[in-house]
Amino acid sequence: MFGLRTFVVFPAVVFAVAALAPAPAPAQTDPLEIIDRVDRMLRGDSSHGTMTMEVVTENWDRSMTMEVWSLGTDYSLVRVQAPRREAGTATLKAEDDIWNYLPKVDRSIKIPASMMGGSWMGSHFTNDDLVKESRLIEDYDVEISFEGDADGVAVWDFILTPKPEAPVVWGSIEYRIRQGDYMPLWTKFYDEDGELARTMEHGEFTEMDGRLLPAVMDMYPADKPGERTTMRYDEIEFDIDVDPSFFSLRNLQGGRGRRR
Amino acid sequence: MKESPWPRIGWRNLGRNRKRTVLTALGLGVGYFACVFVVGWSEGIMAELVENATSLVTGQIEIHDAEYRPDRSLYDTIGGREGADVAALLNAIDADEAVVAAAPRVYAGGLVSSGEATSAGMFLGVDPEREVALTRFLDSLVAGALPVAGRYELVIGEEMGRQLSVGVGDELVLVGSGADGSMANDLYTVAGIYRTGLVEFDASTVVMPIGDLQELVVLGPDRIHEIAVATAQPDLAADAARRLSGVLEAPARPIVVASWAELNPVLAEYVALAESFYWIIIVIVFTVAAFGIANTMLMATFERRREFAVMLALGSTPRAVMGIVVSEALAIGAVSLAGSAAVTFPLMVWLYNAPPSLEWLYGNVTLQGALLTPTLRVGYNVPAWTWASVGLLVTALLSALYPAARAARIPPADTLSGL
Repeated sequence: MFGLRTFVVFPAVVFAVAALAPAPAPAQTDPLEIIDRVDRMLRGDSSHGTMTMEVVTENWDRSMTMEVWSLGTDYSLVRVQAPRREAGTATLKAEDDIWNYLPKVDRSIKIPASMMGGSWMGSHFTNDDLVKESRLIEDYDVEISFEGDADGVAVWDFILTPKPEAPVVWGSIEYRIRQGDYMPLWTKFYDEDGELARTMEHGEFTEMDGRLLPAVMDMYPADKPGERTTMRYDEIEFDIDVDPSFFSLRNLQGGRGRRR
Repeated sequence: MKESPWPRIGWRNLGRNRKRTVLTALGLGVGYFACVFVVGWSEGIMAELVENATSLVTGQIEIHDAEYRPDRSLYDTIGGREGADVAALLNAIDADEAVVAAAPRVYAGGLVSSGEATSAGMFLGVDPEREVALTRFLDSLVAGALPVAGRYELVIGEEMGRQLSVGVGDELVLVGSGADGSMANDLYTVAGIYRTGLVEFDASTVVMPIGDLQELVVLGPDRIHEIAVATAQPDLAADAARRLSGVLEAPARPIVVASWAELNPVLAEYVALAESFYWIIIVIVFTVAAFGIANTMLMATFERRREFAVMLALGSTPRAVMGIVVSEALAIGAVSLAGSAAVTFPLMVWLYNAPPSLEWLYGNVTLQGALLTPTLRVGYNVPAWTWASVGLLVTALLSALYPAARAARIPPADTLSGL
C-alpha cells in the first residue's frame, strides 16, 4: 500500500513543520499569561487559611493571628483571632468595597474612598492593596523588561506602567518571577516621581495543600527604614466550598464565620 | 556762618496772599490726611483679618515638639515619648505679659462613622474651659453644649453633621490607630455642634475633651501635641513667641514656638503686600498734589515777576531768587504739615481707641463664614506716616523747583520796561 513515495514525503513534511516552528523557549513569554498563571497558582479559585501578621514600626511591634477566606479576586474575609483584645475585628472585601467590623463597639464601618490609601489594621499595607492587587493587569500595561539570569536564577522581570486614565496609586511597579517554578520573588512599587516607595519580598517557598507557595511576604516601606510588615501563612487550603453569599456583612460581624 | 535770610523772607511772603497760601496748604494737607488715614484704615482692616484668622481656631502662637510639623505624627508629642509637665508649661506661658490665654491640644486622625455614613476625620482634644478663653469657634455652639470629660461626648462641625446626618444626642464611632499600634475605636455621643464657617474644618474636625482623646489613642495624660497661645494683639505674637522660646524649659527634646506669621505665611505675605501698597498710595497722592502746587507757584511767580526783576536789577543773584521761591514752598509745606497733623493724629488716636461702628452703612459682613462687624478701625503705622510727612515736604520742594528756576531767569530790563 505504502509506496516509496510516501516514505520520502513524510519525513520531509515533518522536517518542514519543525523548521517553521519558532524557537522553543520564547514561545511562552507572553507577560500577561505568565502573571495570570502565577496569580492563579497562588490564589486558587477559593481558599481558607490562617496567617500571622507581624508589624514592626519605629514606635511599636505587634503580631496578629488571622483567619482568612477568599473567593476569586472579588471576595475575601479576614478575622483577627489574637491578640485577645482585638479578636473578632474583621475586614470584608466585596468587589470594590471594604468593611471593617469593630467588636468593641459592635459596628461595621465601610471605608470611604478617601481613606482607601490608609493603613490596613496598622500594617504597611493599605486598604487599596486589598482592592487593587487583583486588578493590576487591568490597570497597568505589562512588559517584560528583563529575561535571563539574576543571581544565578533564571527570572523574568516585568514592568507595569499605568494605562492612561487608570485610577492607580503607583507610577510604576516592577515585579520579578522565577522562571523555573513561577514563584514571585519581589515587587517594587514606585511613586509618580519614579522614587521607590516600598518593596514587597516573597520567601520560604513551601508546599501547602499540594501547591508550592511563598509562605512569607515582607513589605518594606522605603521612607521608613527599619519598619516592615510580615505576613506568614500558617496553613492554607485551596478550592474550598464557599460561595459569594458567605462574604456578607452578617458574616463579617458573626464571629461564627465557618466554612459551610 | 551767617544765617541765610531767604527762609525768613519766604515765610513772610506767605502772608502776602493769604487765600492762596491757605488753599495751597490745604491741598497738601488734605493729601497728607488721605495718606495717613488710608494707611491707618488698611492697617486696621489687616489687623482685623489677622485677628479673625488667628482667633477662630489656631491662636496667635503655637508650641510644638520640634519634629511635629509638618508631618504631625501622633508620636511627636511635646517632650517626646516621656511627655511633659503640661501644667508647668501652661503656668510659664500664662506668666508672659502679652499672653491672654493658653490651651493644650491633642490631635489624631481617623474615621468618623454613623450608621451607613463614614468620613475621614481629624480628632482634636481640647481642655474646653481653656479653649473657650483662647479661641472663638466653641464660644457659641449652633446646638447643644460643650462635651463633658469622661462621658464619651464630643462636638462636631455643622458640615460633618450634615454629611453624616447626625445631630445632638446621636452616636458616632471614632476609629483611629493607637500609639501602641492597636486599632483605637469607641462609641461617643454628639453633645453639640459648632460652626467656624471654614467648610473643610467643619466637615472633618471632631472636638472632644483632651483626656478622652488621649485614652482613645493610648497616649498618657502628659503627652500633648500642641499648646495654642493667644496674645492680646496679633502683632504682639512675634515678640511673645521669641520670649516664650527663651523661657520654656525644653524637657527631653527641643520645643518650637511659632507665631501666626510663621504658621500661616500666606496671611503674613498678604499683610506684607498691603504694606507695599501704602507706598503706591503715598506716591500717587503726592504726585497729584505736586502738579497742583507747581501750578500755584508758577502763577505766583509770574504775578511777581516785576518784584523779582527789581531784586535782580538791584544786584540779587538768581540763586537768591530761587532761594526765596523754594523757601516759600517749604514754608507752605511746613504750615500744612503742622496743620493737618494737628487734625489727623488726634483723629487717628480716637479711631484707634474707639472705632465707630459702620453697621448702619454695611450691616454685618460675613467673610468666609467668619462674622466681621464693620468698624472704622485704624491701626498705627509710624514708618508709613513718617514717610508721608517726608513725602509732603519733598513734594513742596520739588514742585517749587521749576517755578523758582523760571523766576531766577527773568530778564530784569525787559520785564521792568513792560515787555
